[in-house]
Amino acid sequence: MAESALTIDGITVSFDGFKAVDGVSMVIEDGELRVLIGANGAGKTTLMDLISGKTKSTDGTVYLFDEDITNKQEFEIARAGIGRKFQIPSVFRDLTVRENLSVAATPSPNVSRNLGFGLPADARDKLGEIIELTALGDVLSKRAGDLSHGQVQWLELGMIIVQNARVILLDEPTAGMTQGETRKTSEIINRLKGQHTILVVEHDMSFVREIAEKITVMHLGKVLAEGPIADIEANAAVRAAYLGKGGIH
Amino acid sequence: MNQRFFDRHRIAEIAVYLAFIAVVLAMPAFIDEFTLNRFSKYLVYGMLGIAIALSWGYAGILNLGQGLFFGLGAYMVATSLKLQSYTSLQQGSDTPVPDFMLWNAQPGAPTDLCCITDGSFLWLPFQAQWFGIAMAIVLPTLVAFLVGSAIFRLRISGVYVAIITLALVLLVRPLIIEFQPVTNGFNGLTDLGWLTFGGFEFDPYLVETYYVIAIPTVLVLLGARWLVATRAGLILQATRDDANRARYLGFSVAAYQVFFFSVSAAIAGFAGMLYVVASEFASPTFMDIAFSISMLVWAAVGGRRSLLGACIGAILINSISAAASETEMLQEAWKAILGLIFILGVLFLPRGLAGLGHDFIEWLPLGRRGATRPQNGNAGSEPAE
Repeated sequence: MAESALTIDGITVSFDGFKAVDGVSMVIEDGELRVLIGANGAGKTTLMDLISGKTKSTDGTVYLFDEDITNKQEFEIARAGIGRKFQIPSVFRDLTVRENLSVAATPSPNVSRNLGFGLPADARDKLGEIIELTALGDVLSKRAGDLSHGQVQWLELGMIIVQNARVILLDEPTAGMTQGETRKTSEIINRLKGQHTILVVEHDMSFVREIAEKITVMHLGKVLAEGPIADIEANAAVRAAYLGKGGIH
Repeated sequence: MNQRFFDRHRIAEIAVYLAFIAVVLAMPAFIDEFTLNRFSKYLVYGMLGIAIALSWGYAGILNLGQGLFFGLGAYMVATSLKLQSYTSLQQGSDTPVPDFMLWNAQPGAPTDLCCITDGSFLWLPFQAQWFGIAMAIVLPTLVAFLVGSAIFRLRISGVYVAIITLALVLLVRPLIIEFQPVTNGFNGLTDLGWLTFGGFEFDPYLVETYYVIAIPTVLVLLGARWLVATRAGLILQATRDDANRARYLGFSVAAYQVFFFSVSAAIAGFAGMLYVVASEFASPTFMDIAFSISMLVWAAVGGRRSLLGACIGAILINSISAAASETEMLQEAWKAILGLIFILGVLFLPRGLAGLGHDFIEWLPLGRRGATRPQNGNAGSEPAE
């Protein structure tokens, strides 16, 4: 069995007594692509907030490989190897596409080590690969704020890959995308399988079918079911809680 | 590094920098000593413009109290120069004692820096000129580091930073006025000695003194330009655009903000020091809120995202301002005209003169190179013109 990349053990957060995430445990193996689904308010994004340090948990632990990253600061968790893509794409809008990727590819986070120019050869190579993967080669000199919606999403995805995150958290990577854009996104994600461990939150079931190996279903802050896509679609509890209520588009 | 390294904007930028440096260095050939001394003060304001562009334009930190750092730098070096003043040596003591301390002395206090007034011992180390010069940069940097560490680690940003820095300068100004026995209060430090190196006295009206100000201005400009071109400078701009994104890429946003906030303060302190060399006084008016706000106007007009733009904006506005105040007709109206320029600038030229220059270069029909640029401009993405 492969080594586990992300181990979540009984993570809980309580907002004034309301438990948005309540004792969630899951183990994601190294190189695995896991899809997280659930109705609105099930706690998917909050779970990502807890992993990436945006929200501090009230109980439970998160391990990245052997390292305890529970409740560390966002930049510490990022340095440990977790990359995150937000539901509302977030890039450096006044910088060019190339500058955005260069910032993400900078090997050292320290100010004092960054008082030089350019990137080391391996980071440049990686940058080249990502530009090819995300097909942003033609818009490298463009301001990120002037890109199309799909391009912004791919840029953010590219930044997280070039950052060399071992575990990537993707929050609704196809939200607001056209069919063509969604297809390209699933191609990118499929090509990342195996090289990175990926946790995706997604609503679009046809997209989920294209990329998913194993699915975790959340409901009211808890894990409702976990397994291959066929099992999940056949699961009566899941159907009652989620699929049957017209939550899929 | 990439194929765009020598595009038209880069070439234009290098040309404008070279032209600016050439004009600054050649200035003594064209104007008399009196005007040269005045121009050296404008260069000091230009340095302040650079400091503002660095913090406001590049770091996104709106500092309404830059005058604090300028004032601290000015007072530190003025303290040393006051002790070198002829009058300080004439107070009947073996060691220099500033004249105002005698006026503020307690009856019967010995005429000595150690204890002539409460706190006068603070002046003791300033008997060495190098100490005053060093403190003119160290103190503002240290204050900026401490203040910056406190506010940026708490993730305070935007208008709240503006309010805190504003409050800070409003707090320090009365303190300086209050401690009259040490600072000469409202009057400031006047009647200073000249900066002296190896027996050479830098009379503010000498060409040599002009270069003591002009060469550091050029070096600060180039140093700041180098700094924003490094990876750290790019990451800083990234934290300005989206602090959260930068955090999730593993960068400690606060560390970058504190570093550049401190550099900006060091430049302002250095400018304060040079201002004293040119003007022979330090005054609490340096910490007037109106002065700090003026600096923002200079940078906004010149282009806050361009170091040279902000520098030229400062020089230009102060030159025009001086000319206007000498024209009787404009004396009263000048402040209103300046306000109008600022409002029009913000409305129609949000990137200042530098942005105008950038668009002009973009518009020039220069053949194939232009074709590689996306149309509709990289508004604001080019740091300088």
